[in-house]
Amino acid sequence: MIENFRIGFREISKSFGSNQVLEQTAISIASHDCIVITGNNGAGKTTLLRIIAGLEKPGHCEISLDDASPEPWRRLRKRLLKSVMYLHQQPYMFAGSLLRNIEYAARLNPALADRESSVQKAVSWAGLEGLESQSAASLSGGQKQRVALTRARLCHPQVLLLDEPTANLDSESRERTLQMLREFRDSGTAIVIVTHDPGVFSDLATSKLHLQDHRIQADDIGAADVVELDSVRQSKKR
Amino acid sequence: MDVLLTSTAEAFRLLFSGNPEIWEIVGISFRVSSMAILAAVPPALVIAFTLAYGSFPGRRFLISLFNTFLSVPAVVIGLTLFIILSRQGPMGDFKLLFTQTAMGLGQFFLCLPILVCMAHVSLQAADRAAWETARTLGANRLRAFFTVLYEIRFGLTAALLAGYGRIISEVGASMMLGGNIAHYTRNIPTAIALETSKGAFAEGIALGIVLLFLAFVLNSLLQYVQGKGSINP
Repeated sequence: MIENFRIGFREISKSFGSNQVLEQTAISIASHDCIVITGNNGAGKTTLLRIIAGLEKPGHCEISLDDASPEPWRRLRKRLLKSVMYLHQQPYMFAGSLLRNIEYAARLNPALADRESSVQKAVSWAGLEGLESQSAASLSGGQKQRVALTRARLCHPQVLLLDEPTANLDSESRERTLQMLREFRDSGTAIVIVTHDPGVFSDLATSKLHLQDHRIQADDIGAADVVELDSVRQSKKR
Repeated sequence: MDVLLTSTAEAFRLLFSGNPEIWEIVGISFRVSSMAILAAVPPALVIAFTLAYGSFPGRRFLISLFNTFLSVPAVVIGLTLFIILSRQGPMGDFKLLFTQTAMGLGQFFLCLPILVCMAHVSLQAADRAAWETARTLGANRLRAFFTVLYEIRFGLTAALLAGYGRIISEVGASMMLGGNIAHYTRNIPTAIALETSKGAFAEGIALGIVLLFLAFVLNSLLQYVQGKGSINP
């Protein structure tokens, strides 16, 4: 179970050359959240996720952890890399077997008491039994997605960021992914999903946001202040 | 034609009779070249990685510079180091000229650009998501670095073999920096040059056979490694 937390990202700006992608926008993420972000192609959804994950350097960004005063992104980058996990649209599989991919994640979590049994439990949690020795590169899209989520489960991230997690998945794989994400959310992990198909996540989402004109706009919920979404979250959770 | 046949027959006799002088020369060659490539691999990987993943002013210039160094003749590297290591040079006090260390230095600078450029190409061709996945799973920079290196191991092996093939067979820098001193800095290529000038073709051919055999082994290894990394099942 993840302890309650809140991370606020403020004044996020990012440009690639003369192309301004994000401008003075903000987002707040708390435990048990499932935030679904939509937006047109090139709106900056993936860039936003990568900034939150600590993978993309923003032009400007301030972060406040819980009630602490805001600090620059650069100062908290290491912390983001440790506590936030970003899953690519097509999850990357390291060379070798499925088991090697999962053990890689397990080795990076020193808090795991019994690594071997944790890996076995995680494999069966994802329904990947029998595929352990199979080359990870030869797995289907849905299986790769499950491997990526299994790696995430072993690392216990506070925030899980997913870029189009159900794109190109059949209905069975999609249902399975949703079930796994639900378990993450229930355990306290905050989930941020970027998608073109928000309807898929309607049962899972606690808030929906729309990225437009370089900024995050509240969607469906009519809240003016996108940073303070607590009331919306609470009502959704209830 | 007769000379070639009799010299080749004599060369095989020299090799298989275990001629100590021939095998000493082979030993010096392998020792110096192996030390040179082992010393060049770590900095080459760091440079290649910085060029592939870094974003800093002058990056493109550095890439062009290393690509240019690929075509620098061995004698030019030999000449440059000769001036630096000679008694009047900035490193003259170290008295390295005409030593195996000097030969190793020359070979180090010969294989460094090959390793950097080939590793850089492999890193550019690799999926950046490998680095990002390792980092987002919580790996520190060093761990993620080695993870990415493992992902491009086939390309790196090819770079290593190409670099080794280049330095074990080069004559210009070794001759200038080592001085071709018997039992000390005489390696395969400089010995071949000397024996040929003396008209002792059998010794030259014997050493040439060793080099050819090495080239064959390296290329076979490369084929094997590239076959393992094939996209075909």
